[in-house]
Amino acid sequence: MENVLSILFCLTLLYLVVTSRLKTYVSILRTQGVLLSAIMVFPFIQHLSIHILLIPLMSFIVKAVIIPRFINRIVIDLDVKQILEPSIQPFNFLLLTVASMSIIFVSAHVLSGFTPIEPIPFASAFSAMITGIYIIIFRRKLIVHVVGFLILENGIFLFGTAVAAEMPTFVELGAMLDVFVVVFLMGIAINKISSTFSRQDVSVLGRLKD
Amino acid sequence: MLELTFLAILPLGSIAASYFLHKRKMQYSISLIVAAGHLLFSYLIFSGVYQPAEGEFIRFDALSRLFLLVLSHVYFWVVLVSYSYLNRPELVNEEKGKRLYFMMLNLFLFANTLAIISNHLGLYWVASETTTLSVAPLIYYYRNEESLEAMWKYLFLVSVGIAFAFIGFLFLALSASGTPLSGQQLLISSFTRFATYLNPIWLKASFIFVFVGLSTKIGIAPMHPGDIDATSNAPSPAAALMAGSLRGTALLGVMRLYQIMVPTATAEFARTIMIVGGVFSLFVAFVFMFKVTNYKRMIAYSSVEHLGLITLGIGTGGIAFVGAMLHTVFNSLTKVVLFFNAGNIHRAYKSREVNAVWNVLNEMPWTGWLFLFGFFAIVAMPPFGIFFSELMIFQGLMSKPFLLAAVLFFLFFIFVGMSKTIFRMLYTARPADAQPPVPKEKFDIFHFASVVLLLLLIVLGVFMPSRLYDTVILISKDFGISL
Repeated sequence: MENVLSILFCLTLLYLVVTSRLKTYVSILRTQGVLLSAIMVFPFIQHLSIHILLIPLMSFIVKAVIIPRFINRIVIDLDVKQILEPSIQPFNFLLLTVASMSIIFVSAHVLSGFTPIEPIPFASAFSAMITGIYIIIFRRKLIVHVVGFLILENGIFLFGTAVAAEMPTFVELGAMLDVFVVVFLMGIAINKISSTFSRQDVSVLGRLKD
Repeated sequence: MLELTFLAILPLGSIAASYFLHKRKMQYSISLIVAAGHLLFSYLIFSGVYQPAEGEFIRFDALSRLFLLVLSHVYFWVVLVSYSYLNRPELVNEEKGKRLYFMMLNLFLFANTLAIISNHLGLYWVASETTTLSVAPLIYYYRNEESLEAMWKYLFLVSVGIAFAFIGFLFLALSASGTPLSGQQLLISSFTRFATYLNPIWLKASFIFVFVGLSTKIGIAPMHPGDIDATSNAPSPAAALMAGSLRGTALLGVMRLYQIMVPTATAEFARTIMIVGGVFSLFVAFVFMFKVTNYKRMIAYSSVEHLGLITLGIGTGGIAFVGAMLHTVFNSLTKVVLFFNAGNIHRAYKSREVNAVWNVLNEMPWTGWLFLFGFFAIVAMPPFGIFFSELMIFQGLMSKPFLLAAVLFFLFFIFVGMSKTIFRMLYTARPADAQPPVPKEKFDIFHFASVVLLLLLIVLGVFMPSRLYDTVILISKDFGISL
């Protein structure tokens, strides 16, 4: 089941790459939030308790409800254009992502031969990280960069569950709070940027250099 | 429990107090008392007078003690000058930036302390990310376009960087699978104990991710640009805090992982990476020292240079490691002096461009002379501390003559480039049509802090208190170095 959810997670990434509508970006973020929470709950489905449910519940609230809502509000408030002008052809972007994913999946399969990792969640996590980075590189709008950062974070989150790293509850909660505050601050910054510069893409950020 | 009260709970209370009390004087007094208490306790812990209790997640080994003392020292001076800084006539529209100033300083202290004393890499990560969040509003203090851009870049680059560091920590967890550490918490102490069991491939991957990720925060080239923009656009007390303590805390994360790797066969790999990163940072500082036209950026590049030198020293090992540890102390204190006086110059001349500044030595004698001495201190002129620590790093590099030659070449030209800029600011005659930037300069609290810190740098360098030296030797032992 974990594998199925991970594959679904990967499919959202591919959709993310081909779409050029901002609205879809936000709904994909929401879907990923739901999938991640489900992946976290699944191994414990037999013996659920409040303590085990705490982290998935929090991640659901933060990743699937609050953050997408917050980003949606910025998009509406700032009247960001819904269609993104890409700096790369959508087909080439898809090709690049699929190629990277294939390499990741093959290497994960090879690696799983001599290390105890779950190849599919592991590879899905890395695919998300690389897609997040591609989005940051190839898209020009700052709000989309924030989405790229969140996809990267989702990848790390999935990776964390894939390697089953033991983290105390307060660290997990702290990490989630940190990510939320980062996004919150980025949102405020985008607000300020749009009122100062009247545009919200990377071209306005070129004043500081030597 | 007493130590946690002073190091963490009081700063936490002070955050709340600074938020709810709107009177700046109240915010300042509370923050200063908390800073003084923190300094006192860090000193007591450092000197061994007070033995703090250690728990699973908190520990006070020699490395933590040293970095904690540096943090509270830098922080104390920054808070001390802050009230006078905030009450100066405004440069631009910064009134709004002052509201959250003390709150963010206190949050920085709390998070940074937690990062330094944490024994759990996850806790370190959370605390370290919180320090980024606390300095971001401070960078945006001036509320202008440049500071906005600097804040965005810093926030974004460092957040992505620190996300990479987290991947690195997860690799570390992966390296433990099938060993006694499998499924255990990421505790530094237990990982150091059982390091030889860890899987070397994942350990190497872990180091690469952590080093590259945290480099955005340490300021190791080529990940340094966000850091340069941030330190050069932040108000000078915040810049001093970042250069003096934040970079060190990020370096601590890399050192913790290296400490785990020391007993394993992968240590050589980590050392090589640190040497390459260090030398490349020196190279970048060397190139940009001749390019910069903004004196605050110049000091920020000097941080790239010195953190590069420290990383190089850690990578080289032996006596160079000892030098690098002393260098972190001396560099932090010197950067505070430089940023305080650069801030004074910025206030008076209303520009950060070198071309807009002239005749500082005569127009602002206190600031001018202290800036000059700060410059002497940072370029390792005796008797300032950096002279001695750099000497140790060079001594360690003797076994790698080519590297030593390259380092000395870069350092010499960094010295030339920096002195060209600084002497130009200090000595160029006043343009015919220009008004004096300030009526007559009086001795103020910034000068007081600079004088004390410069004297401290001389005393620490020349007399080298045995407690400091012993602590550094203890750290070296923890890193498997016997002299």
